[in-house]
Amino acid sequence: MPALLILVLITALAGCSGSHSILDPAGPAARDVAWLWWAMLIGFGLVFLVVVALWLAAFRPRDRAERSPGQPDTYDVERRQGLRWILGGGILLPGVTILVLLAFGVPAGQRLMPLPLPGGETPRVIEVTGHQWWWEVRYPDEAGEVVTANHLVMPAGEPVDFHVTGADVIHAFWVPRLGGKIDMIPGRINRIRLQADRPGVFGAQCAEYCGVQHAHMQLHVEAVPPEDFAAWLAARRDRELELSEPADDQAASRSLFVEQCASCHRVAGLSEGEIGPDLSDIGARATLGAGTLAMEEGAIARWLAEHQHLKPGNRMPAHDHLALEELEALGAWLETLRP
Amino acid sequence: MAGDPAPMSESMRPTPEAERLHSELSTVWGNPRGWRGVFSVVNHSTLGLRFMATGLVFFLLGGVLAMLIRTQLALPDQDFMSPEIYAQVTTMHGTVMMFLFAIPMLEGLAIYLIPKMIGARDLVCPRLTAFGYWCYLFGGIILFASLLLEMAPDSGWFMYTPLSSSEFAPGPGSDFWLLGITFVEISALSAGVELTVSILRTRAPGMALHRMPLFAWYILAMSLMIVVGFPPLILGSVLLELERAAGMPFFTVAGGGDPILWQHLFWLFGHPEVYIIFLPAAGIVSTLVPVFAGRPIIGYGWVVSAIVITGFISFGLWVHHMFTVGIPQLAQAFFSAASMLVAVPTAIQVFVWLATLWLGRPRMSLPMLWITGFLVIFVCGGLTGVMLALVPFNWQVHDTHFVVAHMHYVLVGGMFFPLLAGAYYWLPLVTGRMPSERLGRLGFWLTFLGFNLTFLIMHWTGLLGMPRRIYTYDSAMGWDLYNLISSIGGFMMAAGIAAVLVDLVVHGRYGRRAPHNPWGADTLEWSLAMPPPNYNFASLPRVESRHPLWENPTLGDEIARGEHARPGAAHGRRELLGSEALTGRVREVIHLPGNSLLPLFAALCLAVVCVGLLMRIYPLSLVGLAGAGVLLLRWSWENGGHSRAAPLGHNDPEDPPLHSRTADGPGRWTMGVALLADGAFFLALLFGWFYLWTVSPQWQMPDQSPLSLPLLLASGAALTLGTLWLERRVAALRRGHEAGLTLVLSAIAALGGLHVALLVAALLAAGLEPTATAHDATLLVGLAYLLVHGGLAAILIALQACRAGLGLVGARLPFEPGVVALLWRYQLGVFWILSAAIALLPRLTGAGS
Repeated sequence: MPALLILVLITALAGCSGSHSILDPAGPAARDVAWLWWAMLIGFGLVFLVVVALWLAAFRPRDRAERSPGQPDTYDVERRQGLRWILGGGILLPGVTILVLLAFGVPAGQRLMPLPLPGGETPRVIEVTGHQWWWEVRYPDEAGEVVTANHLVMPAGEPVDFHVTGADVIHAFWVPRLGGKIDMIPGRINRIRLQADRPGVFGAQCAEYCGVQHAHMQLHVEAVPPEDFAAWLAARRDRELELSEPADDQAASRSLFVEQCASCHRVAGLSEGEIGPDLSDIGARATLGAGTLAMEEGAIARWLAEHQHLKPGNRMPAHDHLALEELEALGAWLETLRP
Repeated sequence: MAGDPAPMSESMRPTPEAERLHSELSTVWGNPRGWRGVFSVVNHSTLGLRFMATGLVFFLLGGVLAMLIRTQLALPDQDFMSPEIYAQVTTMHGTVMMFLFAIPMLEGLAIYLIPKMIGARDLVCPRLTAFGYWCYLFGGIILFASLLLEMAPDSGWFMYTPLSSSEFAPGPGSDFWLLGITFVEISALSAGVELTVSILRTRAPGMALHRMPLFAWYILAMSLMIVVGFPPLILGSVLLELERAAGMPFFTVAGGGDPILWQHLFWLFGHPEVYIIFLPAAGIVSTLVPVFAGRPIIGYGWVVSAIVITGFISFGLWVHHMFTVGIPQLAQAFFSAASMLVAVPTAIQVFVWLATLWLGRPRMSLPMLWITGFLVIFVCGGLTGVMLALVPFNWQVHDTHFVVAHMHYVLVGGMFFPLLAGAYYWLPLVTGRMPSERLGRLGFWLTFLGFNLTFLIMHWTGLLGMPRRIYTYDSAMGWDLYNLISSIGGFMMAAGIAAVLVDLVVHGRYGRRAPHNPWGADTLEWSLAMPPPNYNFASLPRVESRHPLWENPTLGDEIARGEHARPGAAHGRRELLGSEALTGRVREVIHLPGNSLLPLFAALCLAVVCVGLLMRIYPLSLVGLAGAGVLLLRWSWENGGHSRAAPLGHNDPEDPPLHSRTADGPGRWTMGVALLADGAFFLALLFGWFYLWTVSPQWQMPDQSPLSLPLLLASGAALTLGTLWLERRVAALRRGHEAGLTLVLSAIAALGGLHVALLVAALLAAGLEPTATAHDATLLVGLAYLLVHGGLAAILIALQACRAGLGLVGARLPFEPGVVALLWRYQLGVFWILSAAIALLPRLTGAGS
C-alpha cells in the first residue's frame, strides 16, 4: 500500500495539464466532466477505503466466545446481522450511489448534444471527415466553402456544431480539453457540440483504432476570437483568387506540383485532388503528417523525402523517383502557401 | 460445524473391499495407456487438467505479448516494434487472453471440479468434453500460428468493420481471427451445453437445487450465458467471413450493409463475456470464503439471486461499449442506468463475503491472501465501471488508457486473482501435496504490487488523454513518466507470476504431503482420495445438506468402502445416477460411452475445414466438412442399445432403469440446451435482418420480394406434416407401440427430404444476387440456415428408421426418436418465423416501393 500512496502523490504533484488532458478543461462540456471525475474520485475513493477496511478488519485477532451452532437464538442473531450487511452494503449503498450519480451526471451530458439553443440561433457548423490517417475539415458557408486539413480553426466563446463522418474506416473525433468524443462512421453523420471558452490551442486525436497509423492521427485545434475567425475564413476564400496569378520564380516547383501531386492533393484554385489532404494553406499549419512532424523551415522537404520512415504505412507513395533538390524546391514552394 | 482439517482417520487405510472396488472401477473407467491414451481419453478429470494446462501455455504466450507492448510504450518515440507488428501484438494479446486463456481456463476448472462437487462420476457427454478440448487446441494453434507467420490479425481484438474487412485488411489476418475464434467457440459451446445438463441432471441423490454448492450455481449461470451469449459472435464471424471471402456486403454501406451491425453482434456477445469470466471466479470466492471463515456462507439465497440477476442484466448492457457511436439519447439513458444497476448484485456478493468473514473466524491462509488481492482490485475496477456507465464521462475516457486500466482491474482482479486462489486451494486435491507459504507469499506480493503499479497509474495516463492502441507517443504529451512506471510494474508482475508458477510446479511435485481435506472444506470433492481416481466416487453418496463433509467428516471412507449407491462396475458400464433437476430425486441410471477416437478425428476434420478456408482451397473445406459430418453421425450411432454402448440384456437394472430405456434421459436435455444455443444464433440472425432493414443507411429492398410464397408454403406444409406425424409416433412409442416404426420413420424422413427440396427450389427460383446487396445476402444466409437444419432433421430421422430396423430403437429403447423430435419441432418454429420475417412482412409493409 505505501507504494500506491507514493504513486498517488506523484500523480497529484505532476498536475493535470497537457494538450490532451481531460482534467485541464477549456470548455463548458469538458469542465462538467472534469468536475464529475473529481467528485466521483472522492466519493468512490471513500467507498473503496471503507470496503477494504471492513475486509481487513474481519481478519483482526478476535476473542469471541465459542459459537454454539444449532442454538436457534444464535442462528437468528446471525441471520439478522447478515441481513443488515446485505441490505446496507448490497442494496442501499449502490442504490443511493446510482441515484446521486444519475442526478448529477445526466444533465452534464446535455451540453454535448446538438439541441436547439435558447435564443433560437443556430451555431456554426464545421464538417470533419476522418481518413486513414488525416483529417479533412470543411467550413460550409454561403459565400463559398473553405476546405483545410489536419488544422482546425474555430471561433472561441461560442458553441460550434461538428458534423463528423468517416471516409474509409471508423475514426473518432475527440478534442479532450473541450469535451467528449464521437465516432466518425462511414455512411453516417454524427453531431457533437463543443465550445472553447477562450482563444487557445488544443490537441485532438483520433480515438477509435483505425489502422497502423492511428497513433499519428492528430488534429491541431485552434480557437481564435470570432472576428479573427471571420477574417481567417475570408482570407482563405480570397487565397483562391491570388493563386491564379503566376509567380515566376516558383513556376518550376508549381508545375512539378501539378505534375506529381495534383491528382491527389487540392490547392484551392490550382488543383482539385481529393485523395490526400488539402494543401491550400499548408505553410500556415502547425504540423505535418497529422501531428507527425512539427512545421518549421525545411520540414516539408524532409517530410516529402522521409515520410514513409516517419509515418510508416501512410497512404502517400514514396518519392524515390524525385531528386532531393526537386523535393526541396517543392517544399519551399509549399511553405509559401498561407491564407 | 466446520472443524479443523479432518484428522486422517484410521479407516482411510484402504480396506480389502475398497481395493476390490477400486480395481473393478479402474478397469471400466481407466484411461487407455500409451499413445491411444493421449488421443482417446474422454475422462473429465484428465481433460479438465488438459484444458487448464493448455490455457496456461496460452496465458504465458499472451503475457509475453503484454511485455512486448509495455516495452514498446516504456519510452516515447520507441521503435522497438514496427507499427504493423505492434498492431498484431496488441490484437493478439487481447484475443489470446480472452478467448484462449480466460474462458477455456475457467471451463477447464469447471470440467474438472463440477462432477466431483455434485457427486457424479463424469460429465454427462464425455465425448463432447474431448471434442471441445480438441477444438480448443486446434483453434488456438491455428490462431497463434498466424503470429509466427507474421500475418496475425491486426484490427484490434474486437475486429471492427470496415477496418477488418477485405478492403482495409486484405491479408489473411482477419480470416485467422474469424475462423480460429469460431473454432474455439465451438469448444466453449460444447462445455456450456454439457455443464448445464450435468449440473441439472446428474447431482447426487438428495442434492436439491437449494442444497447445491454455490460454485455449481455460478457454473450453471456461466454455462447458460455461454450458450446464449456466444452464438451472436459466431453469427457475426460467419457474416464477416462471408463478406471477406465471397463479397456479401453485410457490413458495407454501399451494398446496403452497416458496419455498426458488427459492433452490435460483437458486444451482444462481448458484454456477457465479461460476466462469463467473472461469475466462475466469483464462484471460487464464494467457495473459499466460508471455508476459511469456518462457517456457512451468510445469505445463500441472496447469492443465488445475485447470480441469476447478474446473468440476466448482463445481456442488457452491450450498448455501453458503444456510447460514442451516436445512438439515440433515450437508449443511452436506458443502457447507462442498466449498466449501473449491475453494481447491485455485485455489491450484494461483496457484502455477503464481508458478513461471512465478520461472523466467522477467518484465517489468512495463502488462498485467502489471493482472495484479498481480488477484493482490493476488483472493488476498484467495479467502481471505475460505474463511472464509465455515466455517459458524459464515458464520452471523455472511452478508448483511452483509462478504459484499458479499468478493464484490467476487472479482468485480472476479477478472474486472475480468484483463479490463483483456487489454484492454491485445489492444488492438494490434484497433486496430494501442499503449496509453500513462503514462495507463494512472495509471488503474491510481487504480482499484486506489480499489477497496481502498472494499471493504477494507467487511469491517470488515460485522463491525460492517451488513447489506447497507439504504438508510440510524443514526449511533448507529458505521458512519459507514467508509461515508464506502468512498464516497470508490468515486469514486476511478470516476475511475480513466474514465482507463483515455480511454486505451484515445484510444490505440486515435491511439496509436503497434504493431509486429508487440508483446509477443512465442506464440499464433496474433498471426500475423494488425493488425487482422485478416474471414476471419482466408488459409491454414490446421498446428500441431504449444503455441507456434506461438515455434517459427516468420514463420508470419504464410506464412499471408498462402497457403502453408498451403485458401488463398483461389475456390469462393465460407466454408470452414474441421473436425478431430477429440481429435487435431486433419482430418476435413472445414466450409462456413459467409453474412450473414443471419434472426437479427435471429428475435430481434425473441422481443422481441415478451417485451413481450407484460410488458404481459399474450398474443395478441401468441403471434404473436411463431409468428413466431420460422417464422423459425428457415427458418434451418434454408438449410443443407446448399440453393442458399444448398452445393448439390451437380462441384467438391465429395473429401478432405476437405464436412461436409454426411458423417454426423458439427459440426451433430451442436451438437445434442448443445444437448441437454446441454436435459437440464440437464430435470434441474432433475425436481429441482423431487422436491424439492416430499419437502420442501415443505404438499405436496398426490392419492390417485390424475390421469394416465391407458394414454394415456401409447400415446403412448410411438408415440414409441418412431418413434425406432427413424428410427435404422434413418438407418443405412441412411449406407450409401447412399435409396429411399423421403421416404415413410419422412413416416411417422415421422406417428408423432410421434400421440405428441403422445395426450399432449394424456392432458393433457386429467387435468383438472389448476394454479392450485390445486403438484402439478398441476408436472405441467402437465412435460407441456408433453414436448409442445414432441415437436412439434418431429415438425415437424423432416416438414421432412426435404420436403427428401428436393426432393433436399436423400439418399445424397450424408446429414447432416441424423442430427441430428434425436438429438432423437428425447432425447425418448424424457425421455418415459420423466418418465412414470415423475410417473405411475408416485406409484402405486408410494402417495403422497397
